[in-house]
Amino acid sequence: MKKISVKEFFQTKKIDFSLSLITRPTTLDKDITSEYLNRPGLAFSGFFERFSYQRIQVLGETEITYLQSLKDEELYNIIKEVFVYDIPCLIITKGLSIPSQMEFLANEMNIAILSSRISTDKLYQQLRKYLSDYFAPSKTIHGTLVDVYGVGILLTGKSGIGKSECALDLVERGQRLVTDDAVKITVIDEMLMGTSTNDYGHFMEVRGVGLIDAAKMFGIQAVRRNKRMDVQIELMPWKDNMDYERLGLSDNFAEILGVRIPIIYLPVSPGKNVSVIIEVVALNYILKRYGYDAAYEYTQKLQEDLKKKSSVKNSEHAK
Amino acid sequence: MIRKRIVIVNKLGMHARPATLVVKTATKYRSEFTILKDDMEINGKSIMGVMTLAAEFGSELELVADGVDEEYLIKEMEELFASKFGEE
Repeated sequence: MKKISVKEFFQTKKIDFSLSLITRPTTLDKDITSEYLNRPGLAFSGFFERFSYQRIQVLGETEITYLQSLKDEELYNIIKEVFVYDIPCLIITKGLSIPSQMEFLANEMNIAILSSRISTDKLYQQLRKYLSDYFAPSKTIHGTLVDVYGVGILLTGKSGIGKSECALDLVERGQRLVTDDAVKITVIDEMLMGTSTNDYGHFMEVRGVGLIDAAKMFGIQAVRRNKRMDVQIELMPWKDNMDYERLGLSDNFAEILGVRIPIIYLPVSPGKNVSVIIEVVALNYILKRYGYDAAYEYTQKLQEDLKKKSSVKNSEHAK
Repeated sequence: MIRKRIVIVNKLGMHARPATLVVKTATKYRSEFTILKDDMEINGKSIMGVMTLAAEFGSELELVADGVDEEYLIKEMEELFASKFGEE
């Protein structure tokens, strides 16, 4: 399971979430293992059933005001009771000041308290976004990702089939390269987002030439950093007896990290202009999204035609 | 070269699904395959061609196969048309 230490979280996100550390640095050694947040109001009032202690605990004005309303002894006891749980860290919003007992007990019981200057609502949203991205399922696959007329197309297929050459050709035609050879895929909001595995830039290997920098060579308009993947196209060597799609009435799907996207098996043979076909795939995908399915329209027309002709025949027989 | 006259016996005629079956069957063979209807002559291995015929129920087609495996192609085609493409 994925995790991030409170220390790493604090150091990398200090500025984004305008965080500062209230407790001693030694309290930072726990791990965050959940992408969710918790408001521990009920726990502080003594209700511990279903207390999601393993999440980051966010305390806003409500919680702090409540705690300040308690008598010293009551306050001490309830905080101690809450801190017995293995909490990764607490975040106080709006830069509110906390009761001194709380700071004391947190240091004693080794729980980090961070303070953020952001308001509870805003912090909650930003933190949830950050955590869900961080904990999102991801994997890296062999392939090339291009943006063709705004449609994210993942090109896959065996080494040497011509994915990079195809991407180059598409870039020449005004399309945009996201990444070549290795695509890092992350699931965000049930969609597959693809990006490069590193941030070196848009380098690619062209067989027989070596490495090239697509952004330098074709300009900044020829590249982009990340893209939602809409369609997978598997390039494969042409085989005579293979059952290729002829009408396109039925869609095949590929499943990546539990998300289904349409997949097209595209036969490649020498002299065939694959880039044009890929552009056609992208445009047809857009048309389908707008509710126009060429295969369906054509076959509907054919069916009506056949019906009309056979009914004319039947009425002739009747005479 | 083999020529064979055939009548469409399924009620819906040769719509998209049967046309796909015809093309898929024909492409398994090496022989040239042509279908004739009225004044039309089309390549039986092309889906658009076969659908262009708009061959309705009761209409008559002429199948022409030419090549090393022509007999087998025609035989399987006959069976396919006779089976009404698995329809009524």
